[in-house]
Amino acid sequence: MNVLGVGRSSFRTAVAALRNTQTSRALATTARPYVPPASLEHVAPPRPRRSRIKTKPESSAFFTGRAGYYDSIDSLESAIHHSQRALKNLHLLPLPAFAKEALPPLQTVWKTKEDMSELLSAKLTTSRYRRVTGLLGQLNDHRRVADVGGYAELSSGLSSVLETFERDNKDAVLARGIRKPVKFDEYGRSYTVGKRKESAARVWIIPVKQRAAPAPTETQAASPDFGTVDPISIDSDPTAAVSMTEVLVNGMPLAKCFPLPADRERIIRPFRLTGLLGAYNVFAIVRGGGTTGQSGAVAHGIAKGLAAHVPDIELILKRSKLIRRDPRMVERKKTGLAKARKRYAWVKR
Amino acid sequence: MTRDTAPHTSSLNSDPLSTTNPPEHWVKREDALPPKMSSIHAARCLLGSTVKSTRAVAVGRTYATKQVVAGRSLAQKTKSSSFRPSRRNDAGGEGSAKKERSTGAFQTMSPTSLTAEIFKDRGADELVLPTFRPEALTQDKVATAMKFPVADTNPMRAFGLPKNIATEFQLLSKPFSVIRDVTLKVLGRLDSANNKSSFHSRMVLTGSQGCGKSYTLLQAVQYAAASNWLVFYFPYVIDTVNSSTSYTYDPRTKTYLQPAYAAQTLQNFLTANSRLLQELKTPGDVPIDGRAPIQGGTPLTELITIGAKDPSSAPAILSALMGILSKQTDYPVLLAIDAFQALYCKTSYKDPQFSTIKSYHLSMPRLLLEYASGKKSFARGAVIGALSASNTTFSAPIELRESLKLGNGTANSYIKRSPVLVSYAEGLTKITVPEALSEREAASLFDVWMKDKAISRDSGDELFMSKYSEAGGNPRDFVWKGFLATITL
Repeated sequence: MNVLGVGRSSFRTAVAALRNTQTSRALATTARPYVPPASLEHVAPPRPRRSRIKTKPESSAFFTGRAGYYDSIDSLESAIHHSQRALKNLHLLPLPAFAKEALPPLQTVWKTKEDMSELLSAKLTTSRYRRVTGLLGQLNDHRRVADVGGYAELSSGLSSVLETFERDNKDAVLARGIRKPVKFDEYGRSYTVGKRKESAARVWIIPVKQRAAPAPTETQAASPDFGTVDPISIDSDPTAAVSMTEVLVNGMPLAKCFPLPADRERIIRPFRLTGLLGAYNVFAIVRGGGTTGQSGAVAHGIAKGLAAHVPDIELILKRSKLIRRDPRMVERKKTGLAKARKRYAWVKR
Repeated sequence: MTRDTAPHTSSLNSDPLSTTNPPEHWVKREDALPPKMSSIHAARCLLGSTVKSTRAVAVGRTYATKQVVAGRSLAQKTKSSSFRPSRRNDAGGEGSAKKERSTGAFQTMSPTSLTAEIFKDRGADELVLPTFRPEALTQDKVATAMKFPVADTNPMRAFGLPKNIATEFQLLSKPFSVIRDVTLKVLGRLDSANNKSSFHSRMVLTGSQGCGKSYTLLQAVQYAAASNWLVFYFPYVIDTVNSSTSYTYDPRTKTYLQPAYAAQTLQNFLTANSRLLQELKTPGDVPIDGRAPIQGGTPLTELITIGAKDPSSAPAILSALMGILSKQTDYPVLLAIDAFQALYCKTSYKDPQFSTIKSYHLSMPRLLLEYASGKKSFARGAVIGALSASNTTFSAPIELRESLKLGNGTANSYIKRSPVLVSYAEGLTKITVPEALSEREAASLFDVWMKDKAISRDSGDELFMSKYSEAGGNPRDFVWKGFLATITL
């Protein structure tokens, strides 16, 4: 039933007629007003209006405003999914507990939030950054498993994905905190530096040449050129002389340079704890600070040098805090206080 | 606890708080060693030299002679004054055993109640050391520890000891020393000096602080005493120049005599050498000021006794005695002087015009300098001196250092050398005592102290090697700053 009382066909005709009139009729709203040519002399002719081509945005996440972020999330998640699948097929996942413990530790240095934002060309908030690094961590784990499992192709493929997200100076960052290996010179001397308070000591340690060569036994392994420590017992050969550790500081014997027994003991302590008395001689040059600081600096240098000569004893020296540079320094004076901590006398009024 | 409740009847009180009589088992003050060991005199009398000998070296800078006889009664001193000075007991220390006082917070305990291990007797003597005898001193005995004989006639007991050695012997159960290469060297020189004039055998032991010069000198003295030498030993000759002994001006010789010190020296010499002096007699008359000359043919023991008893004639008798001994050839004479450099230093004495008296104007240093420089010499014998760095007031002056070629700024041509002292330092030969003990010598030393329970028995190689390294082998540092000073045993 037609509400209008007009037949269907007449309705269609009416619509078509309307359409026709719309295309040919110039409406007041759309027509351009008349402008005399003289006014248009100094006006540039209008550019031809191109028909607006709507190009498809590159990313489907364009209208999120953070295309880079969501795209990377997508690609990472898909990579995780695929690698997980692959590892499962290779029966490398899920790993049993003992295998997980045996895996080498992860050493990850991802880009900072700012760098990541630049990479993804989208400003990242902390939670978004954490989400990215979380996914990267998962992918890194899969890469590690693949690496340990011996699937180099898979591992390298994952590495190439992860590399873009890692910092440029990754190696430098990972190398921080690891002591540089101590070098030995042609005479077998180690050169180390020790510090305490304001003192700095340069320490050279050389193995003592054993005077009486012990009789070679079957159990004695092939000894390297330097750093052999063969204990000589005075009971086994009473005529053999037992060597003693000699310490020279700034050209002076230890006893002359440090008259206090406490300072002398501090310097000999690394030898005593490690049982290397009589095995090495020490020459040190120390500057700055006072007697106790200088003795601490020499002891620090000796500890580092002994650890270089005999790596096994490093744990002993670490546990006894001799390898660590004593971080205690003189505390600064503060305003409103007489000294670093001392306050002025309190006055009631 | 009031007096009324304290029992008064019996002298032997079991009640420790009784104030009437001290219990029997308290060590009485007269028998005990002198309480204060800080004075050098007390340290020297440690080994039991006679009471008189300690007190004869009187303290004071008086111009006239001053005799302090031990045991002088209190009544004589305090006759006129009401002031009662503190009683001095025989050993020279303050306080008296007979003074009755309450024990206060400390209560006595009977010896039977001391049951802990530390109070028990040593029992079997763990420390077995060979005795220091001339026959036993061979090359293979280097680095062995040998104990010194402790007879009363030993020069150690008669003359006393330097303070540091005395302290060590106080701590040890037996006085000992370690034989070193330098010991054998010095004893060899003594052997060669046996039949020669002392002019050719004037030696000075030099070396760094704490290297063992005094100990080596002591070993030489012991060797000489055991080898029938007549021994003069001056353990601390600084006492002759630091104005601790009385001095008088003698117009005849135009020098300052030191009568008390001379008398003391004579007494000590007699104690140490009485056996050998029995046979010796004075060749001729010995003239002495103010009394009849001593007849020729008097036994030397009698001559010395006269001098020891009469300090006013002691310097003359001492120089006469030295003259007699220098001429006789029955026994060689050893003149051993520790802190030898003090003889060449500026003294602490002042004359009436308050100018410093030179050392060669005092009788005792002059006598020693004459024999040390060779101006006078023994027909048979030697002079050995040992430098000492302990007292910095009397350190070796440039004349002595140049003579001994010690270095340390002797090339300075802007310092005036006294020609008299240069002449007194002529002809001295230097024997350098090595700075460091060898490892074996140090091991023997360590062993003795360990067996004497100065160090824990559990400490072994580690303590020994660490202390040796810390001291650099220096004997004094090894013992005193090493294992006796450490708490990390």
